[in-house]
Amino acid sequence: MTNRVLCAGVILLMSIAAHPQDIERTKAWVSMVPAELTSIDRGKPGTVDLQFRVARGFHINSNQPKQDYLKKTELKLDAPTDIVIGRITYPAGQDRSFPFAPNDKLSVYSGDFEVGVTVRPLHNVLPAKYAIHGFLKYQACDNAACYPPKQLPVTFEVKVLKGQGPRKKNPAQSPHAHS
Amino acid sequence: MKRDPIILIVVAMVISIMLVFGIQRVHHAGIVPPGKLQGKAAPDFSLPTTTGQTMKLSDFQGKAVLLNFWATWCEPCKVEMPWFVDLQKKYGPQGLQVIGVAMDDASPKDISAFAQKMGVNYPILIGKEEVGAQYGGIEYLPSTFYISRNGKVIEHAFGLVSRSEIEANIEKALGQQVATK
Repeated sequence: MTNRVLCAGVILLMSIAAHPQDIERTKAWVSMVPAELTSIDRGKPGTVDLQFRVARGFHINSNQPKQDYLKKTELKLDAPTDIVIGRITYPAGQDRSFPFAPNDKLSVYSGDFEVGVTVRPLHNVLPAKYAIHGFLKYQACDNAACYPPKQLPVTFEVKVLKGQGPRKKNPAQSPHAHS
Repeated sequence: MKRDPIILIVVAMVISIMLVFGIQRVHHAGIVPPGKLQGKAAPDFSLPTTTGQTMKLSDFQGKAVLLNFWATWCEPCKVEMPWFVDLQKKYGPQGLQVIGVAMDDASPKDISAFAQKMGVNYPILIGKEEVGAQYGGIEYLPSTFYISRNGKVIEHAFGLVSRSEIEANIEKALGQQVATK
């Protein structure tokens, strides 16, 4: 029994220690906080706030980096038919300098940041829950190195409500209408 | 003596976690543990230059090569580039050849414009994933390999390191003693 437990411990030790580079390779520098379900009336726009977290010690470029050769953070979404993705609102970047270029300021996100997505279900969408998928494109660095651009899968749900429906323009008065 | 297996497992886990974080710290500090390529022949490759020619690593046989993987979007890489320019001037006559490999999705034209703006005086090649894979997978930029005159990888560094460290590695690749600073 003791030997088996010891063997399991050794295997665990080896599996954790043997491939630190593999851990680095699969590591995502940004994660998404699961989004709350947002209810939106059909025919009307609603905003879904998506929260992201940059791993401690790392930063990513903002949506508007100061240099055009830097990779901007960008959300790309693919909505179901008849659900329109409108404006995507990114936060302003933090102007920070880093040890590798102490005299330069970079526009970055670090820690937590929020991206707002305007979603507008068209009038003909059936009231139900809909999943919207996409990805957040980003490129992370720390104080001494940069890592290749990555795409973080993004998924959130919206609940489309019936709402008041489309307003009819000047409904014609039937000559045979009875009150 | 009977050992409590739970204690042993806890000790093993603590050691594992310390080991993993220790290795990661070493990577980040640019002090690289002996990699698989260390002491072995540098993998040859053939890559296009920004001007459309093709260049092989073996074209520089007999020279000490500083092989630098970089990208236009990598700010720490920009810090090293002027150093490489100076070091190419200083050690070029002694047989050093700096080679930059852009691991970039920018167009060769943009890469060339960027390199020109940085005053680069060494060849810039357009990198490919396969070549990165030959060098252990380029997961950090900058990543620099130092290749001796006889074509062996004698050192490598991940991330930005100091100019003095780069110079020491160049001297090692050239087969000189590290000069007293």
